Amino acid sequence: MTDQKPIPPSSSGPPEEGLSRRSFLKGAGGAAAASSVLAAQAAAGQEAAVAPGAATLSGTNEVELTVNGESRKVAVEPRTTLLSALRDRMEPALTGAKLVCDMGSCGACTVVIDGQPVYSCMTLAARCSGKAITTVEGFGSPDKMSDVQDAFCEKDGLMCGFCTPGFVVATHAALDRKPNADLDELKYELSGNLCRCGTYPHIFEAAKAVQASRGAAGGNSQGEAGR
Amino acid sequence: MSPDPSWGKRADLDVLNRDIRRVDGPEKVTGRAVYTHDVRLPNMLYARTLRLQTARAKINSVDVEAARQLPGVVHIHIEKEAGSEVKYSGDDSIIAVVAAETMEAALDGVRAIAVDVEKMPPVVTEKAAKAANAPLVNYGRNADSNVTSASESGDPAEIDAIMEGAAAAVELDIDIPTQHHVCLETHGHVVDPAEREGFVHVYASTQNVSGMPGQFRQTLGRDSDSIRVITPHMGGGFGAKFGAGLEGALAARIARETGRPVHFMLSRADEFTLGGNRSGSKQRIRLAADAKGKLIAVDLDAEKHGGQGRGALPGAPYRYAVDNVSSRVVSVKTAADSNRAMRAPGHPQASFGMESAVDMIAYALKMDPVEVRRRNLPSEVHSRQLDTVAKEIGWSDHPHKTAPGAVGADGMAVGIGFGAAGWGPGGRSSQCDVTVNPDGSVVSATATQDLGTGARTYVAAIVAEELGLQVNDVLAKIGDSELPPSVASGGSVTTGSSAPAIKDAAHQVREALEAKLEPVLGAAVGGYVWKDGQVSVRDGGGQALDWKAVCALLREPLVVRGQFKQALYRGNIHGVQAAKVEVDTMTGRVRVLKMVAVQDQGLPLNRMALRSQINGGMIQALSYGMLEQRVFDEQDGYLLSDNLDLYKIAGPQEMPEMVALIDDEDERESVCGMAEATIIPGHSAIANAIYNACGIRLTKMPFTADNVLEALYGKV
Repeated sequence: MTDQKPIPPSSSGPPEEGLSRRSFLKGAGGAAAASSVLAAQAAAGQEAAVAPGAATLSGTNEVELTVNGESRKVAVEPRTTLLSALRDRMEPALTGAKLVCDMGSCGACTVVIDGQPVYSCMTLAARCSGKAITTVEGFGSPDKMSDVQDAFCEKDGLMCGFCTPGFVVATHAALDRKPNADLDELKYELSGNLCRCGTYPHIFEAAKAVQASRGAAGGNSQGEAGR
Repeated sequence: MSPDPSWGKRADLDVLNRDIRRVDGPEKVTGRAVYTHDVRLPNMLYARTLRLQTARAKINSVDVEAARQLPGVVHIHIEKEAGSEVKYSGDDSIIAVVAAETMEAALDGVRAIAVDVEKMPPVVTEKAAKAANAPLVNYGRNADSNVTSASESGDPAEIDAIMEGAAAAVELDIDIPTQHHVCLETHGHVVDPAEREGFVHVYASTQNVSGMPGQFRQTLGRDSDSIRVITPHMGGGFGAKFGAGLEGALAARIARETGRPVHFMLSRADEFTLGGNRSGSKQRIRLAADAKGKLIAVDLDAEKHGGQGRGALPGAPYRYAVDNVSSRVVSVKTAADSNRAMRAPGHPQASFGMESAVDMIAYALKMDPVEVRRRNLPSEVHSRQLDTVAKEIGWSDHPHKTAPGAVGADGMAVGIGFGAAGWGPGGRSSQCDVTVNPDGSVVSATATQDLGTGARTYVAAIVAEELGLQVNDVLAKIGDSELPPSVASGGSVTTGSSAPAIKDAAHQVREALEAKLEPVLGAAVGGYVWKDGQVSVRDGGGQALDWKAVCALLREPLVVRGQFKQALYRGNIHGVQAAKVEVDTMTGRVRVLKMVAVQDQGLPLNRMALRSQINGGMIQALSYGMLEQRVFDEQDGYLLSDNLDLYKIAGPQEMPEMVALIDDEDERESVCGMAEATIIPGHSAIANAIYNACGIRLTKMPFTADNVLEALYGKV
């Protein structure tokens, strides 16, 4: 279908840093260290978890996250994922990104960090200070939808809607990265996201419609509203 | 008086039978739509389960003392006390539930619970369940075997005699694994125990809003009249979400005991373990035909694999007309989660068996598989639909219709296959209130749920059509048990039940408004045309009022209740699908190149949403055929496929070219649902296409490279 190298479109953490939730969990059992198995794993993983620039955090800390252009203070533990910080620890909560697989398989939690789509379920909130985070809410509102959001409505690129926020964000990121992607490239770019209802063909149509309208408007016309 | 409500001629419609943007689209694409999963209440607790990871065990002890000491842990419910047994992998494997201030703290609590068990043989496979001296895992009353007879008919000896003299007779062994629904929103509820306005509130991810309050009556200890269930949006059901389940009962119990709102959504691993499945099956089918390709006899020996459930399989000859039928179907019980209804329960399994056999007959007789289907599908509708999909998939130009193609020098082969389906979508008692306010605002309200089908949109659109308004002029209110009752969304009954009630309400509103117009515009009820936001006198020489002016005649809101009307519904639908595949005979990899579906359903309410559903049916069938398989570790009873890495569903890269066709030759002026029919034949068409490509008959699903290689070269 495509000959591209299998670099996942959505990576499991902020781009240039080495500390993901997976490697972090090896180093920090949290209260789970009560379990002897986990404690043993923690001991074994201790050294592997040391990454350049990694700071040691414990307990609950307040971090400042820049979400959709706004500074939000949020109390997180070292292990708190960005998804959990957005959904469960902010007031008001940002529940657009969804928890579906909780392991970086499905893309329902996709957000953009510094221009890159990432799985927020695989990203530690504490590592996101100072970065620009855009969630699906930041791309538009019901009264002022982005071109991608409007195209999803126009082409019916949604059914139950649970995967939709992730697909909207991934489509924005895909079209920013590859404005002229052909259909196979679009499929590849969106392959980090899953839908169960079967909306894919209409999502592809929506993406193509955005390409056509942006092309007609003379290139990438996506505004930066809210970002 | 105007006539009874009717859908009218398609040419006269301004709103329906067109592409309608979903009314909840803007909320969903901007992340504002609130699902049960997203409900955030003050002082809310999060609940997580501790499950036995294997299928069966005796519980020696459950020690929660360490867990209780952990920060954030508020309440621990022990479901399996010392001395009890976990009997199967499913809801019975929940040992405890921890409710805590955060999800992380709840998980800490779960991990800190020490459980001592004595494992018992898991019996999670049919082979283990049927073995001599197998432990009894059929927990039905007076059961003495894991195998129970489900149905038996006909005389196989008579079939044998017919087969001997037949022009063609085929035999095949079908092997279908268990599939999961994989609703992206897991099962669960948020229960708020504080009484507000006389109600305790339950937010539920359910396809059964009206039926839910009764399910919480006992666990909440109140009349169902004082329990309000709200489903603002829900993230997929597919048949798995009719009941509150153990997770609902425990959410209610913990909410009562703590006095705090409880957010209890299953984890993904919980969902795979106890959220339901489509039963697997084994089928030995023997099918015979005469020289003209007319099917004359079929014999079926089948097992249904529904775990603790009975499984589902409508059996042979499924949609085909065969005079002589004999069949023996049994259920094999295992210590796995019970099957649940899943989009057309049993039908995709039956389709795979019969469509494969019918295809084999065609090739045995060197006849066109489309022609053999036409001769044996009793409905004329199927005949014309076969023509439609054959044309769209490029059958007439296809070089090898009656024998498999030749594999190219590069090992690649291309083939086309077909499958047919039908369904009887129900329609029954359902109600809807339509309110017109003096300011011109309109509300259409019914308790029903939108599983992603677009129900919310037609709740508004049907009213808009009747009153000559735009869809967005009408506010649709659904997903609330306090609204007029609706049906549970199972068996594609929602549209057939709700749409007539909405239409009836809208029609009554129209008549009531026309009665008020009589002194103003002069015409009697029934003498008006409602179009483009205006009402005018039919043949009245241009006398008209706009919508706002009409509503200004009202002194108070006009509210009417619509009821299900049999005359507006008819539930008998048909579909045919075709698939084109490419098989790499070197690697065993199959790629679906194109799928085509045509589907009838009477009047299309929203053409765009219909195409979405048809695509969805094809995609779920593709996923079922190509990827999906529940896998247990036979020896220890672990569910290995309990996440989305190891249980694969089709993603963007698996998508072929897809053509979703609405059968516009169906001119019935009635409505019904159609979702079930579209999931039935797709995987069968893919298997038949694989045979047409390279001559291997895949009888074992899914059609993964290893199964293809095994079929090509034998066990490697």
